[in-house]
Amino acid sequence: MDNFMNLTISAKSGNEAFARSVVAAFTAPLNPTVDEINDIKTAVSEAVTNCIVHAYGRDESGIIGIDAKIQGNTVHIAISDKGVGIKDIMQARQPFFTTKSEDEERSGLGFTVMETFMDSLIVEPNGEQGVVVTMTKAINHAED
Amino acid sequence: MKIIHKTVGTTLYIGLCGELDESTSGQTRAALDKLIEDFSSNKLVLDMSDLKFMDSTGVGVLLGRYKKLKAKGASLLIASPSPTVDKILTLSGIYDIMPKIV
Repeated sequence: MDNFMNLTISAKSGNEAFARSVVAAFTAPLNPTVDEINDIKTAVSEAVTNCIVHAYGRDESGIIGIDAKIQGNTVHIAISDKGVGIKDIMQARQPFFTTKSEDEERSGLGFTVMETFMDSLIVEPNGEQGVVVTMTKAINHAED
Repeated sequence: MKIIHKTVGTTLYIGLCGELDESTSGQTRAALDKLIEDFSSNKLVLDMSDLKFMDSTGVGVLLGRYKKLKAKGASLLIASPSPTVDKILTLSGIYDIMPKIV
């Protein structure tokens, strides 16, 4: 039951819930468990929040791309931006690392959550500008 | 995000109802800070039984409130998180400083 979707949204806070709901609905035909769908929703929320807060610094004119595809029992999700990019991706992926001040109360756990809740996570430059985060998760109860 | 509260004895109970993410964090932070500002008890229990979703932005919100309460000499406890919220709280290690109660 291979399938794909492409979505473009503005980097507007409030779109996190929309994005995670869309990806959850897209994944629903694989018959995920509640835990699996919640893992995907959380990972998508983290990636989109990173775009809004870090890539675009809350500039709502930014654009976020969400591409997902289902291959067999696996959902592949790519979330991309054309924002400021990440200076040191290895460092950014460390638990509790954040570039924001203490006043902003960021936990620095976004990538850790994505990595823990999904089966794979790749963070890389999006061409010459921005970042693309690619995640996969196999739905173990899925029927092809 | 809907926030309800009640005081029982020396404990302030605050219930979070809805979803805690970047878009609701500002409102949640402000509402909790108002309650903490007026807070004269020694223990605050955050009831998460009606919190349907939380990502790591919520962890940051909790840590910020914990610091404010600690400065007032008060403790913060987490009650009844759903399995999905519990998973992210466990991952964060936050229960080391704000224990979970049933």
